[in-house]
Amino acid sequence: MNFGRFITRRLSLLLGSAMFRYIVRRLLYMIPVFLGISIISFFVMYAAGDPLNIIRLGRPTVTQETIDSLRRYYGLDKPIPLQYLNWLTNVLQFNFGKSLYGGRPVNFLIGSWAWETIKLQLISILLAFAISIPIGINSAKKQYSKQDMIITSISLFGVSMPTFWLGLILIIIFSFWLGWLPSAGSRGAPYLWWGNPILDQIAHLIMPVTVLVYVMLAQNIRLIRANMLEILRSDYILAARASGLSERKVIYKYALRNAIGPVITYLGISLGMMIAGAPMTEYVFNWPGLGRRYVDAAMRLDFPLVMGITMIITVMTLIANLIIDICYVYIDPRIRLR
Amino acid sequence: MASNRKEKPKRRSASQWAVAWRRFKRNKAGVFGLVIVMAVFFTGIFGSFFAPYPARPNPDAYKPFYEGDVRKPPSWLDPEQTNKWKYLFGTTPIGTDVFSDVIHGTKYTIYVGLLVTVITMALSIVIGAIAGFYGRWVDNLLMRIAEVFLVFPALLFILVFVRIFTLTVGEPFLTLPIINIQIPTGLTIVVLILAFFNWASNARMIRGEFLRIRELEFIEAERALGASNTRIIFRHILPNLLSSIIVISTLTIAYAILLEAAVSFLGFGDVNAITWGQILQENFSEMRTVWWAEIFPGIAILLTVFGFNLLGDGLSDAFNPRLRD
Repeated sequence: MNFGRFITRRLSLLLGSAMFRYIVRRLLYMIPVFLGISIISFFVMYAAGDPLNIIRLGRPTVTQETIDSLRRYYGLDKPIPLQYLNWLTNVLQFNFGKSLYGGRPVNFLIGSWAWETIKLQLISILLAFAISIPIGINSAKKQYSKQDMIITSISLFGVSMPTFWLGLILIIIFSFWLGWLPSAGSRGAPYLWWGNPILDQIAHLIMPVTVLVYVMLAQNIRLIRANMLEILRSDYILAARASGLSERKVIYKYALRNAIGPVITYLGISLGMMIAGAPMTEYVFNWPGLGRRYVDAAMRLDFPLVMGITMIITVMTLIANLIIDICYVYIDPRIRLR
Repeated sequence: MASNRKEKPKRRSASQWAVAWRRFKRNKAGVFGLVIVMAVFFTGIFGSFFAPYPARPNPDAYKPFYEGDVRKPPSWLDPEQTNKWKYLFGTTPIGTDVFSDVIHGTKYTIYVGLLVTVITMALSIVIGAIAGFYGRWVDNLLMRIAEVFLVFPALLFILVFVRIFTLTVGEPFLTLPIINIQIPTGLTIVVLILAFFNWASNARMIRGEFLRIRELEFIEAERALGASNTRIIFRHILPNLLSSIIVISTLTIAYAILLEAAVSFLGFGDVNAITWGQILQENFSEMRTVWWAEIFPGIAILLTVFGFNLLGDGLSDAFNPRLRD
């Protein structure tokens, strides 16, 4: 059939294409990184000592036999490399074990907490990037103008400020003094804020989103501004201007495309780290997301949960990095696909 | 005068440092940062001489408690207090003076900032130099390791490690033998862990610089003269990197201070070392009433980090005028 030949030819073209090889190579590069992180997070547990000692604490009646049988049951009598392999095969099947507190599966816990974090983070990331790009460009265009000075100092302030402290100030002012916004949580207990479930959700989101957006905004504006400044001085911008293009076109078509690289990297990292949430912000606003739960789990040394969350964040970050690299190839044709 | 001028050796052209300093002096923001940083160092070193109350383990620190001055707002805001200078930043629910706490916390902040930076920079210079200079598989291996450290969520790992290692702390303070300074053990552990998890991005930057300079002509010339690798690294490449290393270090100090504040605020810090983050953590649950104990330590962190950031930016402009028009 002609059609079959067409498919095989397309497929072989695709498989032989530079892009495909590039992606495969990046994927192969990810394997050692993944293994490295898995080893570190596995040995976190061993740094804390024998997990079975926890059972002994405060329970003098536990006999050595019980400990031994538990050790055999959980496979802790095997050599450590074997235990690691065992754990890794479980992780690869998305089986992270059970939480030490409450005994519910880690998968289930993460699944039930992730939504709140994703909601908060996605809104903030999108807002921050939508706002920061035009501001950063404007600031670079009018370097040393009054507007630029104000924006750079505000963003330097944002970089210097502890995230959680901004949250504290907002809570003190807007919840305690003015009483306009809820100080904690993600949902309307004890009563619906502003009388409507949707408005209530918005009321709870305003302050955490403000904090997250401000911090990301500050970082982003600095990045874009620094990049744009360097690019606006380059020869090809001069050439573009000399050839009579409109300022708008010069900036948005030529300069921005070159300046956007680091911003995309930052966006990718933010999206990859999204699941990790912002532990600080979630802690301050008592937001029931993954970041806050992670802090609790670390405090109680709930290892299966800690390791599970870490591995999921790792995988997400790796995937985000891969996507960034692929985007780079499209944005910047100077990157050769070796 | 004329004879005087004769005796002087011929004036050498200004060194790179003198030029940079002259440029730095013209940068108002950078000088402002330097002033803040110097003020922070001054408070850290001499703070115990002018703080109204002594540092925490000393029972005198709780004097306001015995005088019944618990949860007092800053005295300049409170019409009920007659002495407007008594509690500048108010008092906490456990009866300590926030102003004294902030002053005593300064030395820990400096300790954290400097030690984290020294260790981080040492690690990243060694790793970056090896990777950038020797290239090939060494570079590949080291950069893969750096990638591991860059990819994973550092703050989360820091929390777990700090928790594990501070559980095993025995003595709350270590005493340095000769100079007789007490060092909080838990805080030192936090510092080591922060440093261990933060070298990767700096190492990558230094590696990049090494890669760039390695290919320059004067290195080639040096090699043609028969210089050894060690000589090239230490005498020719590193001095060229010194300015960027100083800039990165300044920014790393700022970052380390912020991170330590975060770790302490989340309740993972050393309870024996009352850092600014620790003050915030102690009074977090009482925030509704004692807001002053949350605001003033935060301002201290903000100002310090702001100062180091301004200084870093200023230095970077001074060393690297290309970016400055």
